[in-house]
Amino acid sequence: MADTSAPPRTERQDEQTAPERDSAHGPGNGKPRILIVDDSLTVRMDLRQTFDTAEFDIVACETLAAARAEIARQAPSLVILDVLLPDGDGVDLLREIKATMAPAPLVMLLSTEAEVSDRVRGLKTGADDYIGKPYDATYVLARVRELIGVAACLPKPAAPRLVLIDDSATSRRHFQSILESAGYSVVTAENGEEGLRTAFALRPDAIIVDHFLAGGIDGDTVIRRLKQDVTLRNTPCLLFTASAKDGEELRMLDAGADAFLGKEVEVDVLLARLAALIRSGNPALAVDASPSSLLGAKKVLAVDDSITYLAEVSAQLRKEGYDVVQAHSGKEALDLLEVQIVDCILLDVLMPGLSGNETCRIIKKRPSLRGIPLLMLTAAEGHEALIEGIESGADDYIGKSSDFTVLKARLRAQLRRKQSEDELRLIREELLRKDLDAAQARADREIAQARAVLVDELEAKNRELEAFSYAVSHDLRAPLRAIDGFSDALISQYRDLLDDKGKHYLRRIHEGSLRMGQLIEDLLDLSRITRRALSRERVNLSDLALEIASELRAEHPQRQVEFAIAPDLAAVGDRHLLRIALQNLAANAWKFTGKCQCARIEFGVRQQDGERVYFVRDNGVGFDMAYADKLFTPFQRLHGAQEFPGTGIGLATVQRIVIRHGGRVWAEAAVGKGATFSFTLREA
Amino acid sequence: MIDALILLVEDNPDDEELTLLALKQGKILNDVIVARDGVEALDYLFGTGSYAGRDVRLPQVILLDLKLPRLGGLEVLDRVRANPATALIPVVVMTSSSQEEDLLASYRLGANSYVRKPVGFHAFSDAVQKVGLYWLLLNETRIVRLNP
Repeated sequence: MADTSAPPRTERQDEQTAPERDSAHGPGNGKPRILIVDDSLTVRMDLRQTFDTAEFDIVACETLAAARAEIARQAPSLVILDVLLPDGDGVDLLREIKATMAPAPLVMLLSTEAEVSDRVRGLKTGADDYIGKPYDATYVLARVRELIGVAACLPKPAAPRLVLIDDSATSRRHFQSILESAGYSVVTAENGEEGLRTAFALRPDAIIVDHFLAGGIDGDTVIRRLKQDVTLRNTPCLLFTASAKDGEELRMLDAGADAFLGKEVEVDVLLARLAALIRSGNPALAVDASPSSLLGAKKVLAVDDSITYLAEVSAQLRKEGYDVVQAHSGKEALDLLEVQIVDCILLDVLMPGLSGNETCRIIKKRPSLRGIPLLMLTAAEGHEALIEGIESGADDYIGKSSDFTVLKARLRAQLRRKQSEDELRLIREELLRKDLDAAQARADREIAQARAVLVDELEAKNRELEAFSYAVSHDLRAPLRAIDGFSDALISQYRDLLDDKGKHYLRRIHEGSLRMGQLIEDLLDLSRITRRALSRERVNLSDLALEIASELRAEHPQRQVEFAIAPDLAAVGDRHLLRIALQNLAANAWKFTGKCQCARIEFGVRQQDGERVYFVRDNGVGFDMAYADKLFTPFQRLHGAQEFPGTGIGLATVQRIVIRHGGRVWAEAAVGKGATFSFTLREA
Repeated sequence: MIDALILLVEDNPDDEELTLLALKQGKILNDVIVARDGVEALDYLFGTGSYAGRDVRLPQVILLDLKLPRLGGLEVLDRVRANPATALIPVVVMTSSSQEEDLLASYRLGANSYVRKPVGFHAFSDAVQKVGLYWLLLNETRIVRLNP
């Protein structure tokens, strides 16, 4: 363990074996910066060797203090963080990173799988992943690539990218140099599993696979799996073999290889075949890489109360490139699943506490977990146990005594089933989306047509209305004049022949015709306001108010009304319309202060919620606020015609004018306490 | 000025009668010729149609409604201004229309006044009397006499 009293150190000082970080690989070169924080030298060196310095910018530290210093120097893209560190708890650093940095770097916890609670705590604190030790370095690399999205963030090289899978280091170096000198960008893998994960992460233009791969899956298996993967099935695959036999070739092509070459082939032939393959390669399907892609890094949750069995199954699966999360009881498994997404669950049937079947039933009831393939493991391979397991919802049922190869094969089968389900779901969703889009387009078209019809109707109605206005203006006025004129003539010329009742009736006819005339005038004004084009100029509202006040005084010389008009209130708008609005408000105030001894009408402005609000206030009879919403409706009156005459159109006119100026109008009042009419105008 | 003549072009018998009543109430006792549509008005002024061959006194002022059967007021005005014999006769458009276009068209065609007929009889009567007094008494006109 490192000396914790020493100042923070980074690998440049204590790890001479590692490649120096030269300035060309420093900040700003666009490579993702990975910070490894682990007190074990072995882990640091192992990860350094696994992570290609051409792909990543790697920094490693052994203490939290050194890590904090590195993070402060330059924010990393991703931190691989141990939990138990000499100077503290890695989860504390995780919390700091996620709480204080924006954008927060990705954090992958890499720690001993001692306690399930550690994993739960880490993931709940915000870790993007948690990988248990002992770990598989290529799995860590694959996860890092997936998390960072290397394929997406690396600039697409001008040269086509190849993945070369070969178990012989000599052979790898040989072909890598040939291919690189031919202008390809080459990433190598030493076994089939690693090759598949690399291919999944990098999405290369072509994949070259050695037929014979020692210690793992062989070349044709690699190709079969590539061809099963939705994201890679169109990537050209070239199969290499040491000895080209006719029967071999047939078998390879059957597995799905796009080309087959002996290793002794001449370089030109190899390059020519490769170029032809890449040219003919279909572009990958435009399906998003679903997280269930078969070749992605897979996490398996193994649940067993036997620590021995857990250790054994974990070791076996890690060899295959899986990350294994361990839980020792059904309860622990359920806690973990709250925070940890896994791709597959292996569940022991016989456990203390929650049994395997009970745990299975709970998992399969949860909508978010239901889809995860679940395999039951049992010591007893009885017929009834099997039936019970399957009935509780398990996807497969395996005897613990069987060979691990059976377990691995069944596991792979379940993952493949899940993948094809996901693919089908994607396709169904895509089809559904297309249907929805088509329906939407149809609906949009119909709406547009309906709208066009409505607009036509509206225009026709407007024309009708204008014609009606004209008719009202012209044709209704003449008969009205006749009623008024002849009743007047009757009164003036036949006064002596009429008794008081007759004269009274004639007066009523006269008054009725006057009211009707006023109504017609007001209605015409109202319709003109809506149709009239708006002219905008600077208007001195105070001057308008003063003019209106003197007109009102001249019309009603017998009344004593005090006007308080704030000076120099300017606004931008249509002078003619603004005058009509002020005129109506002032006339209203004038009318409703008619019964006051000392009537007062005020015109001013106040600042309210950042807006200029103009107001006309009076100390007249006011009104009940319960009717305030009816004020601006045409013909709506709150007072009897006997008490205060009027047509009920004035305030509707005011409202139209204010709305045409982009403003609002409202009133506040109380019975006997006066009224205030406020309005705003759009600031120009 | 008692021989000064008014030509009232008005198709509405109510308005015709009210106009005459208003003139009478205003003690304007000049002769009033009433034409009930545009064609009749022009026939009178130009001595054509039913007025052909009759010795016609040209009016001192024409009170012209706009909305008329057969030939509208604006067209009457246009023809009156186009004819040298009537070009200088004052024309007062008296109408119920408050359409901006009517007002502008009237002035463009050479109307001397545009009066909107008030609905209330008192106001109407007042307007008619003022128009009558102004154009018959106050205003000076030149009447081109037709050759007998």
